[in-house]
Parts: sequence; structure tokens; C-alpha cells
Amino acid sequence: MATREIISTGNELAAIAAVDAGCKFFGGYPLTPSSEVMHVISDLLPKVGGVAIQMEDEIGGICAVIGAGMVGQRALTATSGPGMSLKAEQLGLAQMAEVPLVVVNVMRGGPSTGLPTRVSQGDILQSKNPSHGDYKSITFCAGSLAECYTEVVRAFNVADRFMQPVIVLLDETIGHMHGKADIPTVEDVQAGIVPRKTFDGPAEEYFPYECEHDEPAVLNPMYQGYRYHFTGLHHDKFGYPTEEIETCRKLIQRLEDKVALHEDEVESYEEFEMEDADVMIVAYGSVSLAAKESIRHLRAEGIKAGLFRPITIWPSPAAKIKEHTDKIKKVLVVELNIGQYHGEVQRAAARLDIEGLFKVNGRPISPYEIVNKVKEL
Amino acid sequence: MAKTLMRFTGVGGQGVLLAGEIFAAAKIKTGGHGLKTATYTSQVRGGPTVVDIQLDDQEIYYPYANDGEIGFMLSVAEMSYKLFKDGVREGGTIVVDPNLVHPTDEDRKKWNIHEIPIITIAKEEVGNVITQSVVALAIANTMMNAIDKDALIATMLSKVPAKVHDVNKVAYELGEKYAKEAMA
Repeated sequence: MATREIISTGNELAAIAAVDAGCKFFGGYPLTPSSEVMHVISDLLPKVGGVAIQMEDEIGGICAVIGAGMVGQRALTATSGPGMSLKAEQLGLAQMAEVPLVVVNVMRGGPSTGLPTRVSQGDILQSKNPSHGDYKSITFCAGSLAECYTEVVRAFNVADRFMQPVIVLLDETIGHMHGKADIPTVEDVQAGIVPRKTFDGPAEEYFPYECEHDEPAVLNPMYQGYRYHFTGLHHDKFGYPTEEIETCRKLIQRLEDKVALHEDEVESYEEFEMEDADVMIVAYGSVSLAAKESIRHLRAEGIKAGLFRPITIWPSPAAKIKEHTDKIKKVLVVELNIGQYHGEVQRAAARLDIEGLFKVNGRPISPYEIVNKVKEL
Repeated sequence: MAKTLMRFTGVGGQGVLLAGEIFAAAKIKTGGHGLKTATYTSQVRGGPTVVDIQLDDQEIYYPYANDGEIGFMLSVAEMSYKLFKDGVREGGTIVVDPNLVHPTDEDRKKWNIHEIPIITIAKEEVGNVITQSVVALAIANTMMNAIDKDALIATMLSKVPAKVHDVNKVAYELGEKYAKEAMA
């Protein structure tokens, strides 16, 4: 596949990716350290016939994006942890009503307003269940500048495939670092776009929520002659509220199964120096960059360390993690929170002896800290 | 060329970020790897700001300069100088604006400290205080011999508006002149 070189920041690449992937609408509210996504896309969208709106607040931002999704547009919002907390209810609505959209969350220190300009990975568990209720969240995490582009592109395609929100996690470091990214050409990205399914039969036979047990709803864009009801309540095949026992059960089970039974379509991870590894480091986002450098040092000293980096954070690549942890005794999860993914690795490995290296003071974890920790194992 | 690690420090609003971007982009354009990472506080104007610049021939993973490995630091604010100086390796070069930063005698033993009035040069000799980041860029590149001068100037000019090209070229030449005098 042909690539092109761009010298830029992660936030800017995320905005460019959205536009290249066919996004025509942005609604949001500027929030450090994600604001540059909004700055850049505000400049780009009008040039391609799109619209970017600064809404009155974070909630308004996601509401506008849900509206754009309902009329069939690819739509984006960008924020950070405090904004995710505010958007939580609407993310639940988009899960329930099955409206595709993409959220870029550039993580900063939390909880609450936390450390606005400092790096964190504290939103890992939030991205699994931003809202109450049962559904299967899909979350990607960029581990390089290039992935700030490619994961946003993938998010739009996956959102349309599964008809639900997809979250792309960046962190302050990745979002603001400035360097080289080799990314796919616009032509290749556009050739890879799969438009969401639509129903083109007679309008009276259109039942948007009548679908196979493991398939998403087929929502035709509003205002094109097909009517359906849109609600956050449990609903029937028309979208009308219902409390009918089997309909309610099937609906929520389908929200789970449409992703759970197709995890292979979204699974993504990187294995770095894992072929002969005696020590497995698990890291994602900017921390994986420190891990890669630490592996350079460790291998120079004869310690065979490797990195397993989930790119699709949720659903986690649990089977692949277990495959490695069944063979490798020393496993270390390194993350900028107090073990939010560590718990998932323990679950996947079915082991309680998974080690952790955590930091929550807004500062990055340096390669030397990882080297020292690995030597202690 | 081996890895070059540089750190620019100041306070928010002084334009130290741009100098870092120019360095990284120029290195990439000449076929290497360059990365700029900034750290700032929520106090956007007036808070301590640090920019780490890494230039390397091999791929750079960790985006921050490791403390104790930095070969060159430039500082135009006392509070940032104090906060970030210990990242510079012993014997490394530090350039400060003597009107704003006051190194201790102990600092002078540990590091190779040069005093160049960067802000005054930009304000009075170039005639535009905004050009201080380009004066700083020229000083860093002259002292570290990091990147081909013409490639760096070409990248710099691509990042500033055409109407200020001439004044920034003057700023670069002056920065280079003062750096050479300081090293002599």
C-alpha cells in the first residue's frame, strides 16, 4: 500500500484522518489536550463541504454528532476525560439507538478536571463502559503518530459496520508530540470506505431494528422517505418503546453479540520482539514508546524482553494475551493509571501474578523505570 | 551522526515550541528522524514550558529526552531554568539570557554555560521580539552543529509568514554570530 509522509502532531493527524475517511460533521467543545483536533478540523471541513460547530458544551457536542449520524453522515467529536464524563449519557443513547459516530479522547490526568495539560491513561475503564447498562464498547488506542491517523480511519469504518460509537484513545503525549508519520494515501483510505448498510425496499416493509441476533440495526438516513422511531428506551422492530419480555431480552443480547460474536473483525495488536521473549511487557499508547526503548536497552544487556501492545483495547485481545501468558512467566503491565488494564490482563491470563508498573502524577514513565522494574522481576 | 538531545525552556507564549518543530521537521526532511515534545502547564501564558528535541538517524521511540542525557539546553526564564537544568548531562552546554536567568557558581562548574542576551538581540538588533525563537534556533544549531544550516533555514522560512522572511533571516544570522563569539 502506498504511503505518504506527514510531519505533524497526533491531534492534527486525527483531524486529517477524519476528513479523509469521509467525516462531514464535527460537533464539540474545545478541551485541553484535545483542542487541536477541533482547531484543525474546523479549518478542513468547510473546504470539503462539511460543517464544524463549536457547541455550547460537551453534551451539546455529542448531541449534534448523534444528529449528524442519524441523517447518515460520518461525524466526529473530540474531547478529554472531563468531556467523556459529560458525554456519557449520550454515548449510551447512541449505543441503544445504534447510531454510528467516532469520539477521539485525548487522555489527561483525572478524575474530574485533574491535570489538564499532563499525560494520563486514566480513561481505559471509562471507555469500556462510559454509560450505564449493557452493550459492547469498541475502543482503539493509538500508539504512534501514524496510528493517530489510521485508527481514526478504522474507527469510522467500524462504527458504520457495527452501528455504534467507536472511541479512539490518544493521550496528551501522543496528541501533542510532533514528528514524522508514514500514513496511507487519501486514495487508499477512500477506497477502503465501506458505507453503512441501508434498506432499499418499500417503506412499509422497513423495520430498522428487526435484524439477526448478531447484526446491527439498519438505520436509513432520516428525511429520505423511511420512518422509524428513535429512543433510548427498550424498543421493538419499529423503534417504538416496549416492555415485552422477549423483545427486551433479545435487544440487549443483540447489542452485546453483534460485537462479541465478531471480535475477530476488530481485534488489533502489535507484537514487538516477542518471538523469543522471556519477559512480556504489556503497554499501549505513549507508554508503549517508552517500553520499546526499554526493550532496546534490556536486549543490549542480554535480557530477552518483548512488548505486547493492544491497539484494540476493547474488546481486549484476551485470547492472544493468554496464548503468550501461558508460555511466558514474567509479565509486566505498564500504564499511566493504577492498573486499569492490569486487571484485564489478569483476567485474560487467568493469573494473579501479573506485575504492574503504574504512575498517576501526570508525568510519563521513562524507559529506565521500565528497565529497572523488569530487572526486579 | 549520533543522537542529539536538546531542550528549550521558557515560559508560555515565548515561542519556544516553534523552534522545536522547526528542528524536528528539518531533520526529517534531510532523511533522519526528529521528534519534538512539549510540556507546559495549564497556565498557558507565564507558566514554565519545556520543549525536548530529539534528532537521530535511527527511529526514535520514547518522545521525551531522558534526564541526564541532554547535551544542550537554552533557557529564557529563571523558573524554567531551575526546574529543568538537571536534565542536562555534566559538561553539557547551557545557553541563558543573562537578563532573565542567573546560574549559580555551582552550575557554572557543572555545565558549560554561555550568556547571550537573546531577547535583547531580537528586540533591539533584529527589531522584532517575536524573532527570539529564531535567534535561539540559530544559537542551538551553531553550537550543536546539528543540521545543515541551509536546510534548517529553509524549514524555518516554510513555517513563518512570507512578510517576515527577511527579518527572520537576519535573526538567524545574528544568532549564529553571537553563538560563534560565545564559543570563541
